[in-house]
Amino acid sequence: MQKGEMYVGWSTKDDVRKRGGSGGLVTSMLAAALEKKFVDAVVVLKKINEFEAVPIITSDVNEVLNSAGSLHSVPSNFAKLIANRNLKVALPAKGCDVRGIIEQGKRNAINLDNTFIVGLNCGGSMHPVVTREMLEVMYKIKPEDVHGEEIEKGKLIFETKDGKEHAITIDELEEKGYGRRESCRYCTIKVPNNSDIACGNWGVTGDLVGKATFVEINSEKGAKLLQNAVDAGYVQVQKPDEKGVAMRAKIKGVMEDLGKKWKGKVFVPIENGRLEYFRKELEHCIDCGACKTVCPTCSCGDVSKCTEYHFRGDAYKMSMYHLVRFLHLADACIGCGQCSDVCPADIPLTRLYRRFANPVQEQLKYEPGMDMQKPPYFEVKLNE
Amino acid sequence: MSTEATAAKPAQGGNGWEPNILAFCCNWCSYAGADLAGVSRFQYPATVKILRVMCSSRVEPAFILKALKDGADGVLIAGCHIGDCHYIDGNKNAEVRINNTRKALAKLGFDKRLRLEWVSASEGLRFSEVIKEFTEEIKNLGQNPVKIDIKPQMNADERRLNASSVRSAANVQGSE
Amino acid sequence: MLRLSDRRLMFKEVSEMSDNKSTENKGTAAKDNEEKRVGVFVCECGLNIGGVVNTKAVADYIGTLPGVKVTSVNKFTCSDSGQADIQAKIKEHNLNRVVVAACSPKTHEPTFRACIEQMGLNQYFLEFVNIRDHCSWIHMWEKEKATEKAKDLVRMGVERSKLLEPLQASEVPVTDKALVIGAGVAGMQSALDLADMGFQVYLVEKEPSIGGRMARFDKVFPTNDCSICILGPKMVEVARNKNIKIMSYSEVKAVDGYVGNFNVKIEHKPRYLDVAKCTGCAKCSEVCPVEVPYDFNEGFGTRKAIYVPFPQAVPLRALIDKENCINCKACAKACASGAINYDMQTSYTDLNVGVIIGAVGFKTYDPEPRHDFGYGLYDNIITAMEFERLLNAAGPTGGHVVRPSDCKEPIRVGFVNCVGSRDKNTNIYCSGVCCMYTIKNAQLLKEKRPETDHTVMYIDIRTPFRAYEESYNRSRNLGVKFLRGRPVEVKEDPVTKNIKVRVEDTLAGEMRNLEFDLLVLATGIVPNEGIGQIQQLLKLSKAADGLLMEAHPKLKPVDTTIDGVFLAGCASGPKDIPYAVSQGSACAGRATILLKNKKAITEGITAVVNPDVCVGCQVCVPMCPFQAIKFDEKENKANVLKALCKGCGTCVAACPTGALEQSHFKNNQVLAQVKNVFKFQEVAA
Repeated sequence: MQKGEMYVGWSTKDDVRKRGGSGGLVTSMLAAALEKKFVDAVVVLKKINEFEAVPIITSDVNEVLNSAGSLHSVPSNFAKLIANRNLKVALPAKGCDVRGIIEQGKRNAINLDNTFIVGLNCGGSMHPVVTREMLEVMYKIKPEDVHGEEIEKGKLIFETKDGKEHAITIDELEEKGYGRRESCRYCTIKVPNNSDIACGNWGVTGDLVGKATFVEINSEKGAKLLQNAVDAGYVQVQKPDEKGVAMRAKIKGVMEDLGKKWKGKVFVPIENGRLEYFRKELEHCIDCGACKTVCPTCSCGDVSKCTEYHFRGDAYKMSMYHLVRFLHLADACIGCGQCSDVCPADIPLTRLYRRFANPVQEQLKYEPGMDMQKPPYFEVKLNE
Repeated sequence: MSTEATAAKPAQGGNGWEPNILAFCCNWCSYAGADLAGVSRFQYPATVKILRVMCSSRVEPAFILKALKDGADGVLIAGCHIGDCHYIDGNKNAEVRINNTRKALAKLGFDKRLRLEWVSASEGLRFSEVIKEFTEEIKNLGQNPVKIDIKPQMNADERRLNASSVRSAANVQGSE
Repeated sequence: MLRLSDRRLMFKEVSEMSDNKSTENKGTAAKDNEEKRVGVFVCECGLNIGGVVNTKAVADYIGTLPGVKVTSVNKFTCSDSGQADIQAKIKEHNLNRVVVAACSPKTHEPTFRACIEQMGLNQYFLEFVNIRDHCSWIHMWEKEKATEKAKDLVRMGVERSKLLEPLQASEVPVTDKALVIGAGVAGMQSALDLADMGFQVYLVEKEPSIGGRMARFDKVFPTNDCSICILGPKMVEVARNKNIKIMSYSEVKAVDGYVGNFNVKIEHKPRYLDVAKCTGCAKCSEVCPVEVPYDFNEGFGTRKAIYVPFPQAVPLRALIDKENCINCKACAKACASGAINYDMQTSYTDLNVGVIIGAVGFKTYDPEPRHDFGYGLYDNIITAMEFERLLNAAGPTGGHVVRPSDCKEPIRVGFVNCVGSRDKNTNIYCSGVCCMYTIKNAQLLKEKRPETDHTVMYIDIRTPFRAYEESYNRSRNLGVKFLRGRPVEVKEDPVTKNIKVRVEDTLAGEMRNLEFDLLVLATGIVPNEGIGQIQQLLKLSKAADGLLMEAHPKLKPVDTTIDGVFLAGCASGPKDIPYAVSQGSACAGRATILLKNKKAITEGITAVVNPDVCVGCQVCVPMCPFQAIKFDEKENKANVLKALCKGCGTCVAACPTGALEQSHFKNNQVLAQVKNVFKFQEVAA
């Protein structure tokens, strides 16, 4: 198997195949890696209910197999989870997770040679709390009746326990303020080609729909991972048909265009009163520091310049903590949205940080988390 | 915090408003240049306060942010000419850093309040000219909006003197 | 109930009072719970400060700041009585920080540092505020504004002083060996002096022989001594000295380390013969069939592919120019001692030395690219160096100055001064030696052949030192004509190949049309090709003229900003031979201070990594221009090598966590100044 090749595959274990998101290939690949000692540990989501799951780092193959299933309403980010732990690990990763992991790799907090990143195609994730409300208000179904959910052809479809399907277009939901997280809306990394192997259901055609995963090998590590899963008998693969490949490329293009459109919608340039805009938004910051803790590109410890230069009494003018982070993250922010998710004062932090990051990353022609290009702010010393 | 002061246009000098400019000067060239301006008695406006660092590359973007946030109307960083840096290429680092900072400051509307100049130890006249020029620029830009939008405003010394009385007040309120 | 906004106001008051504590969070600032007792001394400097700034008002205001235990105003704080006042108040009020508001720290910081050190305080507890050069002298007619500004500046200093920490400069051992790069007259002088003082010297020279440019001259001004005759004995002395190891045909490839402990890699280019066996008899040259132009003769005349550099070369050994060698092996057959070895390889030596002296010299300006004054376009225009080689009895024409077009000896010779010097289009500096050598060259040819007629076209004649003016007079008395003017037009007569020059005689106020058989351009001193590499290897700066920069143009003419590295000769600016020789000796003297004391003091203002805060992101490591930061892979932390660190702070600014701090310019110290620059202003509504 080689970089660049594409396959359609599924788990050889029936229950995993049924339970898993499109054929359970990811779960089985991870389990195979663990069993054959490719890695010492695997990160998976342990389900609590249809809307909630927690990430666990496990060395138990059974725990991995039992974790199958992808949930759209668990907006997690695994980069910080595996940072500074010196693990030999395999993990599933949406575009934002991959970017976070690569950025941590650049900052020496993760050893990328020891990290097998299984990329997941992602159209976006949703807040669990928002999802519950959305089900009641928009779908008029009870959250506990939900059996499964899917995003297909621009529609968010929920399957209730009675087998019925309820679908509403994402656009309609997002008009009303529901649907995906804001940072997912303007994300353009739908197929994570920065991972070792990108997996998803786009490109699967005919009978295999819902029962198989389309994979694209992005690196030698990815090839090894898939080959190992096949050799260990966990996974079966075949070549994809050309229609599928084309369809996948088309969907990718459509989703990326949608992301660009949302970017234009959210980031309307502020002509006047820029200072006031930022000051007002940051007014209610209570210095909890949660945004720093969850940020996948921050690799400082507890003590760093953003916290040291800031003291609360000064913040009524403008938070020095955020000012320093605006600057330090202008070349690093990947727009994953974790900071907005955790802010207890409901400050739309991702929006604010992206407002600094967008023009800087554009002008410096740098996209964090996509490859090993050194961050421009690290490269202040000019190479002559 | 009241925010209706958004629309207030900054005062354009007039009632004796003088810009407050902080200048970071590198020890080897620009500080010596400023000394030479003094020795040669080249007069310039009393708007600038000089902070000595060993090299212009010591200046962090965070320092600039802090100064602007605290109400500086302008920040000047002065270093050695390219090729003359006492530490070989510290000033090149400074240039890249300041340019990056300026891009970010544009978001806050502060980009024109930051200036980078190379002044050698023999350029006393030039130093005074730069200060005069920069002061004029800042006067035209108006006061730092941070100063205007904030209420209430006490003189720093008054606040210090009031500190003891406030402390007891804080203790009483702290239980709420 | 309090609104969030009001609560914040109170927090500011509370935290501002405990400001010291809030900035001493875990990991960053040193825990120092000692009460800071600051003494502030405002100087009047006679009327320099006192005549503009209301020093009493400043002192009174500063006295109200927390932590200030005493203020004092003195007429001349640097005087004995002023210093005594400081010392008395330190004792009386048990001060542990001192702020002096006076002139420039560049003037008196050492004075007051020593003053407080005598009272048992660490010298880095002194904070110097400049209220003269940066305040009273430049706001002479705005006394109120100057006073307010002085208050601000002193307040900045007071707040910083409370955060100052005690520091120690450190000592490093010095290896008692020296490296001299470049074996011209300056380098050789350094080497001889150091060797005679008993130190081992490595003398590295990239040419196959030592001697430098001076070996190529004919005679030197103002004495008209034969150049190689006075240089030769020196070269032999160098060769004979037991403490000097000559590494000829070698170059410095890498320099690592710091003062007292430089690790140097020298590359030895292969001569393709065994130097122990070669006797320098040059029989090999006689049989060699290949002839190539010889740069020693400025392109006039040739040499063989195997050659001895020149008759007085040290070491007197041949070498093969492999690029032009055709491998006919005739030399091997001719060599009586069997010294030839075609398979020789480049070899390397690693050295450890305590000091390095750079004497890498210069080259002369090449007028060819710009065809200055027709050079390169017309045959009979030559440079002064070419003229030297023609004049030299050992040169390509046996000492006969002939013109290139027809090899006839010229009668009318013209000299143009300041070619490639004092010119906005080429170099703006004066090369300092061209006037003198032109005067000498005209003199020498005139004495040899009295029938010649010489005209020197100059802008100014510069004859500063001993016997120079007398040489000038001698030339004039011999009949050499001096015309103050710069040629505006240079043409060639197509038949005779004579050079026609149109020049304004500015003293007479008339245009002249002159015709010469030969025109000689006085080309200036410019950096040679190796300068860039040496600059990078030794981490030096270039001066405006493209040559290397000394530490201070007045008071430290041979030191550089890198401790342990010194410069001699034209490497640090155009100069003549006595100046270069003096610098050679000066460098030896300066170097001896380190070599004899066997230790060097390094900067106390260095960067330090706090390992508790460092997360190992390695942003700092490539930042350092002196490669002073090493990354410890095992501990996953950065580590600063104190001896290498020069204290610029660029790594400190880049560190995202704040683990890297620069002593005496720590983040909290600078921020204390930033925070206290401005008093909050009342804003007009």
